[in-house]
Amino acid sequence: MKKISTLILATLALIAIAASSHSGGVYKTNTGTIDFFSHTPVEDISAVNHKVKTAFSSANGKIQFSVLIKDFEFEKALMQEHFNENYMESTKYRTATFSGTITDIAKIKVSTDGTYTSQVTGKLTIKDVTKEVATTGTFTVKGGVVNAKAAFNLNSSDYNVKIPRTVMNKISDDIKISIDADYKHLH
Amino acid sequence: MKKPLILTLIFVALGAMVYFYNAYNKEHTDVSTADVLQELTTSDLFAAFDADVALATEQYAEQVITVSGSIYSIDLENEKEPQIVLQANGDDGFIRCGFATAARSQVESLQEYSNIKIKGLCKGMNDAGDLDLLAERDVILSDCIIID
Repeated sequence: MKKISTLILATLALIAIAASSHSGGVYKTNTGTIDFFSHTPVEDISAVNHKVKTAFSSANGKIQFSVLIKDFEFEKALMQEHFNENYMESTKYRTATFSGTITDIAKIKVSTDGTYTSQVTGKLTIKDVTKEVATTGTFTVKGGVVNAKAAFNLNSSDYNVKIPRTVMNKISDDIKISIDADYKHLH
Repeated sequence: MKKPLILTLIFVALGAMVYFYNAYNKEHTDVSTADVLQELTTSDLFAAFDADVALATEQYAEQVITVSGSIYSIDLENEKEPQIVLQANGDDGFIRCGFATAARSQVESLQEYSNIKIKGLCKGMNDAGDLDLLAERDVILSDCIIID
């Protein structure tokens, strides 16, 4: 009788560990999307990257992004070339990264369908500059997939992106960044 | 005397306009018709980036190459860009290949663990440095087409 109760307790403990590791696991995708948009009265410029690597921990709210700069696609090849060679120096500074925290991670129930919002704060590194950024993220849980959406603005001049005076009327210093990623639990 | 000068100026101005128009409307690289810089296995491509990422970026980024290897996974999560992942270096390194939206059904029909040869535009390595949740490294190819 004692053996059976020990066995049942051990089984229950294992189930509890498995359940807690699931709810506190890492959610990840390599196919997130980041796009950016620059508006001036002369020209609108946008670019998109569909191979964004990002993950978050539902246990502690840690969230990270890495995006390959050269993989941003522009409508015009010439803009893409200038972006890489002149502004971002993407051969030297290959990736942009973000490392931060989902402040209200405890509110996001990754095993319950629903929509949750939380502040996301952290360090954004573009080229050789790292700065603190903060935005509100919307997290939608559906069928085990966590979709995250967020948008924020940054000044390109803050990140050592030098836009020549001759094209300043076409490229805004104020750039809108939008993020859309579907995270799945890592088993 | 003035007439030839004016004509020359008009021709120079027209030439400059054509040059800048063509430069502004330059086409993106057409992978299907572009010459191939090098034919590589997935392991060789990854090894080049692993050995010296700066040198490999200089050598392969924005170049059209072919890679041959085994399909690790088929990734259709992004609606705009179907992708496949090729094995390259165990659990640490992969080649991630992005296709045009229109190639979705073709990508969908591929089989995991089958061998494939891809032609694509190499973009470089997405490695996240010291970000612990993003430890594995991918060499990225875009605008891919299936060769074999």
